[in-house]
Parts: sequence; C-alpha cells; structure tokens
Amino acid sequence: MSEIGIKHFDMNDIFNTLSLGLIAVDSNGKVLLWNDWVAKHSNVKEADALNQKLEQAFSEAVSPAFLTALNNTLIYRLPVVLSTALHRTPLPLYNASETNQQQTRMYQSITITPIRSQLNEPCGLIQVTDSSTSIKREKMLRSHSEILKKEATTDCLTDICNRRFFDAHYELAVADAKRQKHCLSIFMVDIDFFKAYNDYYGHIAGDNVIRQVAEALKSQLSRATDIVARYGGEEFALVMPYLSQKVAEQFAEKLRSAVSNLAIPHIKSAPFHQITISIGVCTGIPENGDNLLDRADSALYRAKQKGRNQFISIPLCETEEYLKQ
Amino acid sequence: MLIRTHILAQRPHWIISEAACGEEAIALADTTLFDYCTMDINMPGIPGTDAAEQILANHPSIKIVIFSANIQETHQNRAHALASILVAKPVTEKSIALTLDYFENTQ
Amino acid sequence: MNHISELHLDALTEIFSIGAGRAALSLSEIVGDEVRISVPSVQIINTEDINPASLSLTCDGRFGAVSQRFSGPFTAEAVLLFTEEQALKIVSDMMDSKMSYEELAEFEHEAMCELGNIILNACLSSMADILKFTLESSLPCYTVASADKILKRLKKNPNQPYIMILHIDLAIEKRHTAGNLVFLLSTDSLSNLVIHIKQFLGNIHE
Repeated sequence: MSEIGIKHFDMNDIFNTLSLGLIAVDSNGKVLLWNDWVAKHSNVKEADALNQKLEQAFSEAVSPAFLTALNNTLIYRLPVVLSTALHRTPLPLYNASETNQQQTRMYQSITITPIRSQLNEPCGLIQVTDSSTSIKREKMLRSHSEILKKEATTDCLTDICNRRFFDAHYELAVADAKRQKHCLSIFMVDIDFFKAYNDYYGHIAGDNVIRQVAEALKSQLSRATDIVARYGGEEFALVMPYLSQKVAEQFAEKLRSAVSNLAIPHIKSAPFHQITISIGVCTGIPENGDNLLDRADSALYRAKQKGRNQFISIPLCETEEYLKQ
Repeated sequence: MLIRTHILAQRPHWIISEAACGEEAIALADTTLFDYCTMDINMPGIPGTDAAEQILANHPSIKIVIFSANIQETHQNRAHALASILVAKPVTEKSIALTLDYFENTQ
Repeated sequence: MNHISELHLDALTEIFSIGAGRAALSLSEIVGDEVRISVPSVQIINTEDINPASLSLTCDGRFGAVSQRFSGPFTAEAVLLFTEEQALKIVSDMMDSKMSYEELAEFEHEAMCELGNIILNACLSSMADILKFTLESSLPCYTVASADKILKRLKKNPNQPYIMILHIDLAIEKRHTAGNLVFLLSTDSLSNLVIHIKQFLGNIHE
C-alpha cells in the first residue's frame, strides 16, 4: 500500500468492507485478524475470535484437511489452495439469510498464503470466498438446459416426441437398418373425421382427444427401440425396427383397437359414432432411395379411401400395381 | 544408488545389487543368495512392504530394513508386522549407520 | 550439464519420493482412501533438447498444466503435467461423486489447482527440508493446452536453459495415472541446487 493509500483509508475499514473472508493467524495458529465477513458468516464476533487458536475460534469443528493445509503453510511457507470441489465446506461458515429459518453451510474456495507481520514474524493469511452462488448458477444452468433439451424434442400437448425429434430419429433408424440390413416399419396414423369433431365439440375437446389417442398409442410400445411422435395436427407416426410385415400388421391392428377401445363418442363420425384411427404401415429393409415414410403415407391414404378405422400394410419393395388392386 | 554409495563408503567389500521395483527385487532375491536387503516402500508397482513380505517368505534368513518417509498408516502397520525395522528417510550417513547396525549386530 | 552426476540425480529422486509420500498422505486425507505416489526417475536435460517423448506428450489431445513459480536459493518454474482426460479422471475419483465429465469440467479448474498444489508443495517442502533452505512460491495456476503449446512455452525462456523432469506415478483407489513434473531452471539455479545436493551427500563421493 502506498503512502497515499494509507493516509486516505483505515485498513480495517477496507478489510471489513471486503466481500470475502480474511483471517490472519500467527505461527502458532492464533487468530490476529477476523474481518466482518467472517464474523457475519461464522456467528463469532471478532473480539471472541482474536487470540484464540483458529480451530477453537469457531463454534464448530474445522475440517482436518484445512488444518493440515494451514499447518503446512505455517511450516513450509508455501501457499495452499482448497477447492470447492474437493472440500465443499471446510470451515463452519453459513449463508446468512436475514429471515433465517434453516441456515445452510456455505460452499467455500480457500487460499492460504504465508505473510509476515510488521515485526517480521511469519504468519498465514486465509482468504475465503463464497462459491455457493457459482454452484447454484451451475445447477440452475444445468437443469435449465435439461428442460430446454426436453422441450426441444417433446410435443407440449401430448408429451410424446415432436416432429423435430421424429425427423432426426427416422433418419438414424433408416441409416441403421440400411447398414445392418434389418427390417424397419413406419406407421402413419390419422384420427378419422377429426375436423368434424373439432367443429362440433370445440378445440378444447379436440385437444383432449389428441392427448388420449397419443396416450393409447404410446401405451402399446414396450421396446426401447420404438418411438411414437406427433407428426402433425391429428397425425402420428411410429418407428419400429425388427418387425416382419406380418407382425407389423398385427401391431397395427393392436393400435387400431386400442383407440377404438377408448370409446370416445363422436356423433359426426357417420359409420362409427366414436373416435377411430386409420393406419398406413410400410415394412422393409431400406436401400438407397427407398422412402418408407412416403410409402406408409400412401398406405394411410388407401386406408382412408377404403372407409377408415382400419390399417393398410404394404411392403417396401412392391410396385404401384399392388396399391391399385 | 544413493544407498549403495553410502554403504560402500563404509563397507567397501560388500557386493550390492539393485532392483528398480518390488517385482524385480523378488526375482533378484530368488536368483542370488543375499544376506541383507534395504527396501523402499514408495515405488512404482507393488509397495515395498509387499515385496519385503514375499522375499522373507522365500528366504527367511535375509535381514530387511525398510526405508520410509512419512508414509500412510496402513503401510507403517504393515512394516511393523514384518520382522524388520523401519528407518526414517532421507538416506543419510546417519540412517545408513542405523541400517548397518541392524544388519550386523542383531540376531 | 556435466556437473550433475548419476548420484546427484539419485539423491534428487530420493528427495522427491519423500515429497511424493507427503503428497500421497495429504491426498489420502482428502480422498479418504489409499493414495500412492511414486517418482520412478528424475532427469535433467537442456531445455532445447526436450521433445514430446521426454514429457510423454502425445501430439493429439490436450494437457492440463498446474504451474507455480518459486524462489529462494534457486528460482524456478514448476509445472505439473497430466493429459486433460487423466486430469478429469483423477478429479472425478477424488470427488467421489456421480458427476459426469461435462459437469466436472466446471470444477476441474480449481480442483486441479489444488491437486497440483499439493504435489508441488510436497516436492518443494521435502526439498527445502532435506537440502536445508527455504523457498517462496506463487499460488498455483491451471491451464489446458495442446502439447505443441506446452513445448513452446517451456522452450520460450532463454534464461532457463535446464529442465528437470520428474516422472510421477499416481494411484488413487484403482486408477493408475502417470504425469510429469517439470522444473525450469536457470544455470545459476542448477549450480545452487548441485551445491545443496553435495552438502546433503556429505562425505560420500563416487
């Protein structure tokens, strides 16, 4: 500190204004300096701490690792770092909350450096910073990014996968099936006469139907490899590997009956008077240029054409003639 | 090397072999008949206490001195359990004198 | 260079293995498990002769370096080097938590500083004890850099033509890690170091 600095300030004012903890000890570990920050967070007044051995100055035990570190600094005159990661709360310091119900122990970062007193006696200076805030921020950012990640891939109405996730997953699933030469099935699902339902029962009821159908479809899946996504307004898509065409057809029927069993009344659905779905499914081992999704979509179109509340299943490598039968 | 130099300064006619680690020391003790052995605890590979135990098991007549700095308690207890003495590091004329005394003047 | 002998190097290995024992003791207190650190060898070479192999640096990958400058009868910069991946593993072992490596990276900086500080201080203090001098040191500082950058930095300073390399073997629980501790020394510092070693060796000569 320069002459000018000393003239202008009382050093104690500066120590006590700092927003970090300062403790100085002599070579026997007796407290020589205990700033306001330390007093506030330890609930031990400066007057009670001065001239005490450091481990006795606090009202609770100090961690052994801290005492070892302090001792090393006092003996070897080498500076020491105690990280938050490895020590968490070496000193009994608390986050002072004005309303204080439950005080929590403060996460700390500590450095201990050898210094000399004006009489040239070897001493140690302990600096404590509160790392709780950086840890809290870290945790918050982390959980926030997890929420964002979930939001980015989940449909907010139905809580199943969204279109974006489906597109990415579909691409990966196709690439996988191509490489390993295994079967992949794509199911396109559409709620029958949904526009009429919405017009008659209202949007809120409509949203409710979408939610229930999504739930019914999802409940049919049990393998980790399978996904169901909301593809568009009242359209859903499923990606399922390793099914033969016959098994895929059985599964499509399971989906159809699961929704039918919901027995949601729909008086504007002329033949059925309840909510039903149509399904197009395409199964095959994809090769270059094959488009399972388009094929499943045209199968869905066929199912609609043929009267709804049913599935149409086609293999990937059939010709257009098959569709025209 | 340090120990060898110290000992040769006192006992110029002794023949000394050195091993780089515990495993090597065990193998060495099996090929040559030694009277005495000094062992460091802190080495790459198995700790010196383990090596000393094995050497003593195979060659009960060897006298072993274990050199230790301020090592962890687990090791300290191990060394005590073996019928050998612990000599504090660093290796100096004084610690070598203790070692030679143990080698030559105990039964 | 020719004034440092095999015996001197062996004495240094001896001194640093005592330091390593001290570091292991401190670390085991923190980890609550057995920690073993050994120093298989010490080497002193000309700074200009260092290459990636002498520090077991691979060209790919990044390295964590904890450095402290110290002064006393001799002045030097000490740098502890681990691969970044190993550094993260050590820290995660020490933290005994189930944090992922990504999360760990947030704490890595400070925790590595502490790990390096413990090892460096232990080596410095055993040297000070045994060779009977006192040293002062700066606080540790942690950087992550490529092998290239680290070599460039080590070679940069013309005032420190010598480099002392300690190969360090660290075992925490079941994990085994190797690192290097590097001291950058000036000509004067090396001469002073040798004088102190000679005093320590006392009457024995080669």
